Amino acid sequence: MTNPVIAHTLPNGMLVLLKEAHGAPVATSWIWYRVGSRNESPGCTGVSHWVEHMLFKGTPQIPVGQLDRLVSRNGGVSNGFTWIDYTAYYETLPADRIALGLQIESDRMVNALFEEDEIESERTVIISELEGYANEPETWLDEAVKDAAFTQHPYRHPVIGYRADLERMSRADLYAHYQTFYVPNNAVLVLVGDFDADTMLRQAEDSFAQLPVGPPLPPAPAAEPEPQAERRVTVRRPGAAAYVQIGYLAPDCRNPDFAALAILDSALSGAKSLTFMGGGTQTNRSARLYPALVERGLAASAWSSVTPSRDSYLFELGATASEGVDPATVEAALIAEVTKIQQDGIAESELARARKQMRAQVAYGGESVTNQAMQLGMWESLDTYRRVDTLLNELASVSADDVRRVAQAYLTERRRIVGHFVPSESA
Amino acid sequence: MSSTNNGATLRHVLPNGMVALIRRNPGAPTVSVRGEIRVGAALESAEQSGLAVFTAATLTRGAGQRSFQQIVAETEGRGCSVSAGGGIQASGFAGKALAEDLPLILEVLADMLIQPTFPEVEVERLRSQFLSGLRESEQDTGYRASVAAQALLYPPSHPFSRPSSGTLDSVAAITRDDLVRFHQRYHPSLTNIAIVGEIDPPTVVAELERRFADWHVVSAPEAAYIPDAPPLVGIQRRDIAMPGKVQADVIWGVHGLRRAAPDYYGAMIANMILGQIGVGGRLGLQIREEEGLAYYCYSDIDADLGAGPWMAAAGVSPENVEPVIEAILTEIELFRQDGPTDEELDDARAYLTGSLVIGLETSDGIAGSLLGIERHGLGSDYIARYPAIIAAVNHEQVIAAAQKYLSTEAYILAVAGPV
Repeated sequence: MTNPVIAHTLPNGMLVLLKEAHGAPVATSWIWYRVGSRNESPGCTGVSHWVEHMLFKGTPQIPVGQLDRLVSRNGGVSNGFTWIDYTAYYETLPADRIALGLQIESDRMVNALFEEDEIESERTVIISELEGYANEPETWLDEAVKDAAFTQHPYRHPVIGYRADLERMSRADLYAHYQTFYVPNNAVLVLVGDFDADTMLRQAEDSFAQLPVGPPLPPAPAAEPEPQAERRVTVRRPGAAAYVQIGYLAPDCRNPDFAALAILDSALSGAKSLTFMGGGTQTNRSARLYPALVERGLAASAWSSVTPSRDSYLFELGATASEGVDPATVEAALIAEVTKIQQDGIAESELARARKQMRAQVAYGGESVTNQAMQLGMWESLDTYRRVDTLLNELASVSADDVRRVAQAYLTERRRIVGHFVPSESA
Repeated sequence: MSSTNNGATLRHVLPNGMVALIRRNPGAPTVSVRGEIRVGAALESAEQSGLAVFTAATLTRGAGQRSFQQIVAETEGRGCSVSAGGGIQASGFAGKALAEDLPLILEVLADMLIQPTFPEVEVERLRSQFLSGLRESEQDTGYRASVAAQALLYPPSHPFSRPSSGTLDSVAAITRDDLVRFHQRYHPSLTNIAIVGEIDPPTVVAELERRFADWHVVSAPEAAYIPDAPPLVGIQRRDIAMPGKVQADVIWGVHGLRRAAPDYYGAMIANMILGQIGVGGRLGLQIREEEGLAYYCYSDIDADLGAGPWMAAAGVSPENVEPVIEAILTEIELFRQDGPTDEELDDARAYLTGSLVIGLETSDGIAGSLLGIERHGLGSDYIARYPAIIAAVNHEQVIAAAQKYLSTEAYILAVAGPV
């Protein structure tokens, strides 16, 4: 039996989630901010990710270079990442050292220095990170599909930002973003591990309760308008293979249809862990896309995905075309699988399989405190941490009819963006 | 047959020589299986490069009475997985399941190792996927730089001189018979399996006896052996121009050492300080944090059954290729001259001993550690002895290893990036 999650809101509005886990003498401390590329304005794309980098670049108490050293010295690992809806940082440590995680996070929530010379050196590091992504044909296609899919919503631009914005942004832009979003009332602290929850909560209060409430948060971005026509993009650049990527504008994770869309995704390419760290098992080869595309020789690989998000995002399908197979053929094969489900629905056995797979993926995720905290923090950032527990029940209540209905409602031609990557000689 | 129970790990040797390491890890209702056969690409000729990888990948494509489609339907249907993959020095296999499904994955893994069926149609499907993957790799700067570095570091006859995934030509030429013959090299006495999770060890022993006891191979076992390479002379460099790219991958490399070498710990800690700890050790600190020249720069040492390369790598803008090479050489020379500071050495030792509990948190992590301990004959008390081993590594040992292996006079450079 796993221990319950204890939720406690500090007077400054910061939510603290704690869960005891005594399987191994380790503990993890995560802090989540509800900020990501979703909260960025034109001209400042990539600012959330850059701010994340700057939080490793020193405070008066922990000068630049010392944070990683402190964590390593104490036998821990740490990192941070930025996504469309949230930015998160963690330290996983031997359980008796977990106070270090609280010290680091409470300090850099308010004291990050953003020194000019550190900003300049990080500017080139981030452009180098962007160039690494920009070496990959998959990135070119993915960015073209997102750009076509969103006309209004900031999900349009890559999390790393546009190069021109990265070259232009100043300390003022970065610091304003930090001061706006890095406030206790926009943060969630998640602690999971081999500790006593009451003692841990008191430590969290000592570290965070004195931090001041921030100003009101800016309003949410405008919703993406309902698409009126299919959109198509073709990228032609050097590459070894043709790729197809199809996106359908899909509801956010709070929509009651989210669970049915997750089952639809499972029917197409297996149930996956819904968090980044995965650690789960491969489940795609017994689902629908693999036999229809890979075993028939049309594609070297095929995938689908549903992304839990704050605002409407995309239900996606994609494939790497086999040598000599036209992307149009691959596209038709992908869409044919969607059409079959729209017409005939899915079998009860597929429903049962998706539920069992998801139960297994959740169990694998539970092996590590880091992953447990990630699931809690991600869901709390998007909706509520309770979804970690309720999602299996939500999936259990989805019927085959629900799956057909959501496929018919959302995976329509009008809501569809089709992208092809076609290898070409010219750069 | 013999069993020893050291602390929490049960080590059980089957009559056919296969070694099982079994450990109960309560907490999550799951189980992890990791195993290896010490047979790999080191045993294949350059003309048949890719054979070991192809053979291992074919194991899930049909085994015992099950077709590939039945294997994935049964395992994935329960959220389990079975897999196999070839490497240079060994071929690995793995399984992961809810604890209730362990019997299924042991049954399938046993079939995969003992009686794979190599169906013709699946061999061809797999070949087509491998060729697609190789064509994509040909467009990958990191892959191209790494292949070039291997070819510069080792003579063509050496198994480390070529990628274990083979080439378009060699993979195209491998026949089903080649796969069947290579599989005959798999031998129970070259096989170790680790099983960790919410399990009852005696029940698992009985299950293993049932599934693997009949595995017998007539030929004598021949383990992969990696010869030493002739020493490098001078500086050898290869530049690869790739249209359409915006970033270059740079690799600097020398020969490293075997895991069994007496100076292994000195070299491992030297590497950690040079290019691992924090965001890439001294290399990351200087090239990323101080100079902002790259998103990543690190070093890595491949000390296994053979002496793999000791490499430093970075992803950089084309205009920064030469400055980054200069910076890497400067850091290496500094480290060779002065070695680590006392503080750096303390930090590295504290990290290695402190992080032990994190590495052993999950069943996957424990199974991987048990397998490594068995492979290198480190002894069942290795984890208990580890902190003392690390504490005993001193400044002289680290600097001696750095001076013996690292060089700014005899090394290779491989650069793959924009035209």
